[in-house]
Amino acid sequence: MLTLTKDRALALVLLLIVAVMWVESGNIRPPTSWQPYGSALFPRILLVVTGLLSLLILARSLIAGPGTSDAPRRSFIQWLAHNRTVFSLFALFGLYAALLPLVGYIVATLAFLVSSLGLLLGIDSRRKWIINLAVSFTLVPLVFVIFRYGLNVWLP
Amino acid sequence: MADFFLQALGQVSSPAVLALIIIGVLFGIIGGSIPGFTVTMAILVVFPFTFAMDPVSGVSLMVGVFVGGYSGGIVSGVMLGIPGTPSSITTVYDGYPMAQKGEPGRALGIGVAASFIGTLISVAVLVFFGPLIASFSMNFRPWEITALIVFALTLVAGLSNGALLKGLLAAALGLLITTVGYDRNSNLRFDFGLPALGSGFEILPVMIGIFAFSQLMGNLEKLRDDQGKVKGVDTNVSIPYRRIFKDMAGQKLNTLRSSLIGSLVGALPGTGGTVANFISYDQAKKFSRQPETFGTGTPSGIVASEASNSAVAGGAFVPTLALGIPGDLPMAIMMGVLILHGITPGPLMFEQNPVLVGAIYASLLIGAVIMVLCQLLLVRWFAKISLIPQEVLVPVVLMLCAIGSYALNNNLFDIWVLFVFGVIGYLLWKAEVPLTPLILGVVLGNNLERQLFRALELDDSWLTFLTRPLSALFLALAVASVIFSLYQDRKIQRNRQQAQRSDAGAD
Repeated sequence: MLTLTKDRALALVLLLIVAVMWVESGNIRPPTSWQPYGSALFPRILLVVTGLLSLLILARSLIAGPGTSDAPRRSFIQWLAHNRTVFSLFALFGLYAALLPLVGYIVATLAFLVSSLGLLLGIDSRRKWIINLAVSFTLVPLVFVIFRYGLNVWLP
Repeated sequence: MADFFLQALGQVSSPAVLALIIIGVLFGIIGGSIPGFTVTMAILVVFPFTFAMDPVSGVSLMVGVFVGGYSGGIVSGVMLGIPGTPSSITTVYDGYPMAQKGEPGRALGIGVAASFIGTLISVAVLVFFGPLIASFSMNFRPWEITALIVFALTLVAGLSNGALLKGLLAAALGLLITTVGYDRNSNLRFDFGLPALGSGFEILPVMIGIFAFSQLMGNLEKLRDDQGKVKGVDTNVSIPYRRIFKDMAGQKLNTLRSSLIGSLVGALPGTGGTVANFISYDQAKKFSRQPETFGTGTPSGIVASEASNSAVAGGAFVPTLALGIPGDLPMAIMMGVLILHGITPGPLMFEQNPVLVGAIYASLLIGAVIMVLCQLLLVRWFAKISLIPQEVLVPVVLMLCAIGSYALNNNLFDIWVLFVFGVIGYLLWKAEVPLTPLILGVVLGNNLERQLFRALELDDSWLTFLTRPLSALFLALAVASVIFSLYQDRKIQRNRQQAQRSDAGAD
């Protein structure tokens, strides 16, 4: 049975993206007498190059077999579990981006920093909490003052 | 040019700009001295602070970060035995053993002095070769520029160790990203019905997302794998000035050779400080009368490493300013800074913005002096700061990246762009796709398309790319770089298979 290796997954995802973008490129305005090459030519050249390179990577990975990496092989679920800290941090950042327009810079950034520092440092000792709160409550107002008053940039 | 340089020196010497260079150098040293943070990350974090500045102030601040960053790697290299940046790997070979012998101050002093001289020599190279190459490239027409960009991309992709196909794929993806939104003819492409995509992606959030997220998340993963390996460090350092003068007096040729190697390698696309570092260390060892002392704490090793990696700063500016083609990642970001301030790097820059070019020269020189003073006076503090844990650093840098992306256009959509490209960058990094060609593709994409179609509008035959000598030469070099990389890839694979076979035999 074929195993889904990194290279195969990469190639398949990219081929899917190339297919979707190729179809979408049909919506680009066609060439005219004063624009003989049209706006779709350049992206289509790149899509062909990307597609060919993805096919080459796929073919090479199929010929070479699943590989002999030293890293232990993991299922997708195991891989997610192994990298849970990283994915949790991504989730926190996504939440931060969503919260910014709703609650504003100060509250959203404080929430993001306290939660992400808690995630990475841990919350099992008083010292960790002190570091967490000291970093968060110093940096958030400091960055606000620098951008708002030093650089005249309005933060949300 | 001398008039413009003096005018620029006047502007750069104003208290406000001097203060910015000092801040830049300090931040650069701190960034360079924290293992895993890198010069590139330091530049990305400081980048948003330049938005509201005039071009000279913004560029001076960034040049300060540049100079400080390339010299900062020495601190953690000597004190912790961990290179602060990849471009200071060979500093560890001799700097750390010297520190272990009870002479950390001597190792740091030699490294800082070599960094200083390396920067000065690279500025001389930039001042001499920059205008020369720029005036030569004034003859480039769209065919040559298109071919040159293709060559730069294939070269960078080919240098992605043992991953040519993925390097080329990354470059193509980077170019593809720039096709989203309105094009040169005001036709909409790939907006997928989302009005926010109409104006395309801003370079900054894309670059930060792809580079910063993969780097920071990679640091976290490394931290998880290295748990329990943290070592204690004594940050009490005193600099033996007299001894360092004596050491440096015996290293004149080594310093000059290493600085020239650094400047030259820095000027080549896709190479940067790491390559310069290894080549000059290797050359210093070959030219040395006592090659057996390398790796045991010899001043020659530290000088070779630090002079070359600092000289990269000036050398790397040559293709960026003269041709508008950045050679490495930090320069790609530097080019982003210039574009953001309405300046298009390229041959015309020397004619249209001579004061700004002069300001870059002046900032490099002043930055080098400030770097020496800061390193010698504050080295103990830098050593302490280099111990900041990644667990604290990562969320803080992510927050600064988000605010920086937002501040570009006061647009919350750019934070989403940052996030999405952060995820993409991380996944590509996990799939072992090199990210430098991708970022270079993003920076050069619009220019490539513009020049390609300008060439075709002037002459509709594609064959003209092959009939113009320089254009044909660049394309031939692009093909040659791909063939050479294929050969290298096969060699690496063969060596790997041999090693596996011998391991199996040993078992």
